[in-house]
Amino acid sequence: MRRRRVDPAAGARAGSLPEAIAALSRSLPSGPSPEIFRRAKFDRPEATSALWQLLFRVLSPLPAGNALASIALEVQARLVKSALCSQGYPRLALAQLPEDGSKGSRELLLALSWLLARGPVLEQMLAQTRVPLGDEMTVCQCEALASLGPPAPHMEAEGPVDVRHMQWLMGKLRFRWRQLVSSQQEQCALLSKIHLYTRGCHSDQNLGHLSVTEAEMLRDPEGGQKVSGAGAAQNLDLAYPKGLHFSCTPGMGPRTFWNDLWLVPRLLPGDWAAPLDPGGASACSLLSPLRVLLRTLEHESRRLEAVLAWWRAEPVFWQWMVRKPTHPSPGIPSRSGPQDTVLGTCAPEAPAAASQPTFLPWVPECGDGELELVVRELQTLEEELREAVERRRVAWEAKARGCGRGPEWSAARRASRETVEKELGALQRCWEQDSGPAPAHGPHRLVRREDGATGDRDLRAAELIRTLRSQEACLEAVLRQLQGQCRQELAGLTGALPGLIWIPPPGR
Amino acid sequence: MSIVTVQLGQCGNQIGFEVFDALLSDSHSSQGLCCKRENEAYQASCKERFFSEEENGVPIARAVLVDMEPKVINQTLSKAAQSGRWKYGQHACFCQKQGSGNNWAYGYSVHGPRHEESIMDLIRKEVEKCDSFSGFFIIMSMAGGTGSGIGAFVTQNLQDQYSNSLKMNQIIWPYGTGEVIVQNYNSILTLSHLYRSSDALLVHENDAVHKICAKLMNIKQISFSDINQVLAHQLGSVFQPTYSAESSFHYRRNPLGDLMEHLVPHPEFKMLSIRNVPHMSENSLAYSTFTWAGLLKHLRQMLISNAKMEEGIDWHVRPPLSGLPSLGKMSLNKDLHFNTSIANLVILRGKDVQSADVGKKF
Repeated sequence: MRRRRVDPAAGARAGSLPEAIAALSRSLPSGPSPEIFRRAKFDRPEATSALWQLLFRVLSPLPAGNALASIALEVQARLVKSALCSQGYPRLALAQLPEDGSKGSRELLLALSWLLARGPVLEQMLAQTRVPLGDEMTVCQCEALASLGPPAPHMEAEGPVDVRHMQWLMGKLRFRWRQLVSSQQEQCALLSKIHLYTRGCHSDQNLGHLSVTEAEMLRDPEGGQKVSGAGAAQNLDLAYPKGLHFSCTPGMGPRTFWNDLWLVPRLLPGDWAAPLDPGGASACSLLSPLRVLLRTLEHESRRLEAVLAWWRAEPVFWQWMVRKPTHPSPGIPSRSGPQDTVLGTCAPEAPAAASQPTFLPWVPECGDGELELVVRELQTLEEELREAVERRRVAWEAKARGCGRGPEWSAARRASRETVEKELGALQRCWEQDSGPAPAHGPHRLVRREDGATGDRDLRAAELIRTLRSQEACLEAVLRQLQGQCRQELAGLTGALPGLIWIPPPGR
Repeated sequence: MSIVTVQLGQCGNQIGFEVFDALLSDSHSSQGLCCKRENEAYQASCKERFFSEEENGVPIARAVLVDMEPKVINQTLSKAAQSGRWKYGQHACFCQKQGSGNNWAYGYSVHGPRHEESIMDLIRKEVEKCDSFSGFFIIMSMAGGTGSGIGAFVTQNLQDQYSNSLKMNQIIWPYGTGEVIVQNYNSILTLSHLYRSSDALLVHENDAVHKICAKLMNIKQISFSDINQVLAHQLGSVFQPTYSAESSFHYRRNPLGDLMEHLVPHPEFKMLSIRNVPHMSENSLAYSTFTWAGLLKHLRQMLISNAKMEEGIDWHVRPPLSGLPSLGKMSLNKDLHFNTSIANLVILRGKDVQSADVGKKF
């Protein structure tokens, strides 16, 4: 999300500073109260720990959970410092703050406003904690790479490391991975069943079938899930795998699935919509008491409203933080002078130490004429290659026609065709790495469609599978190359020692 | 998650029948200690793992039966159907008329490749029936020709085709006095091939189980069926649904995965064995009382003195006080007799199981 332009004149309409800060506090997840902000301006120590924790929440790539709450304040402070430093935060005073939360709340407030000015912080936090209604999966690897967590402290190995222990741990990791693959296959099979059995049940014709969350809401509307403020979205998230297994156990047929689903509504009072025939075309009414879902959605919309209010009131906040007011505004007291902003009250820093020259990418100047020449050369090259390919293909086919038919021949052909396709995919992938379209980011909802119609923002599974297969081929090629290098190195090492017999482990 | 069982040879098929029988009768046993909901969850979990549902409600074992002679397979199929409580799939078996003549090479190099496609086809159909598939359990003996030779061949094929699935081979170690004249060759060839393609080798020794039947179960005339029932009881105690030590809200879903992750992560140490206490006949059950502390003490001593049953345990064996000898030095004390094991997993079933204190003993 790009930064919006902040309209300076809007400051006059925006309203008072307390409203702006209240909106900011409501839109931040488990945000500190407005009083903390006020105290931080005056550098009161009691505001410090709340601001360290808030900065940690904002900067940490992990989604919020109980694990985060249990990290000690010193560790949080240290991680915040290193994260800010890696993002290029210019003020050195923050790096020198003590980590026990005793002072420095004004510096932390400055850091927070620096982050808010720099990037879409609130939007990112909203995206992290949104309520997923559909069955979602991500198609890119960004989230997986970002959620690696804080780096483990570096430990010195005491004495020689037993390689058998390493093999043991490696083996455990492999088994866990295989179990993960089995569970994912199971999840896919169950998802497919739920989508198949609930065809025609969704009120939204574009979607056509229920997701796991929706089916689970039907099956168990009371939920038994505790909703408590900010933790609401996460509870729904953790309940997803449980819901998947309750809605649809392995081996369940369609009749059992629907019997199970409708058993609950028969016990409810009469405002339940009449049960419909499974797989029928009539839309399923979701007006039943889905209290948990309702509460979570209400919570989310309150946060969204807070963010909207914050956008309207933002100019007032910036005037308070860094800018001198160019014209008197109704919200700011008139006796404030230029030094009364938060930034103004902080100790100034030598700009030379902080500033770094910005590098712009250098674009070589080339005239249009050169470009045309290059294009023409490439076209002739393409023509030549095409002719050469045609000639070789004709020659090969003539040769191949002479060979026999039969099951072994077709199997061999199939095998060689697959290898060639894989290699071609790998080559294409390496070639198109820079010029291909940007891969889709973020989570997508899984929808099963019989007719194959797609909207313009929809992705087709077949194409995604093709892309992933080509990526796999590329990575496999790299792996084989690295393994070959490793083998050569080992052979060289063993060759250097006389009298050593090298027995490699049995290959697969 | 479901486990597909592959029963190979005469031994494998007979044991397989007893295992499925024991699993089903245990899950439907009327002597439960738990409430109805708990029992239903237990039954459902056991059924999902080993049986598939049919229209008329009779569970069908998730098994593929392979033998080179028709006699044992026919007996097994009819015994299962006669019980009325469960049965094998109609088209889940593969047999020939010839036999393998106790020849490992004949099983591995002749029968295996010749019937590879049919056997793997049967297995594939069984795997496709599973909504969630965790791995294979292959039952075979090492002494004969079919179980050992074809078993090694099939396991290798499973390694190639289902490389992500877990495979556990249940191997029957033949009697020391010898059932088959070439059993030593068959055993070595089987073990060396299985070591490369299987994930875990669970070994049961005929001698040990025979002694259990004789001394603990007080059976006068021991037949293979008695031995197989003891075996099935031991396997059932491991494979029936369990909770983990931390949470007891729902049963663990992947028993093979749990076993393997804890016991055989190292690629060079794959052999497992089971020790079971208490083991006794139904009649003696009424006259015995047990405490968790006593049982655990016996079990621990069985482990460190390498005893296979709870009679005749050598109580003099103690773990060395200064810990195990370090990598470089060899201990000169020859009568240490301490049975070193790399990893152990304890499964406890029964009343007041939470009060059992495994503690630092294991």
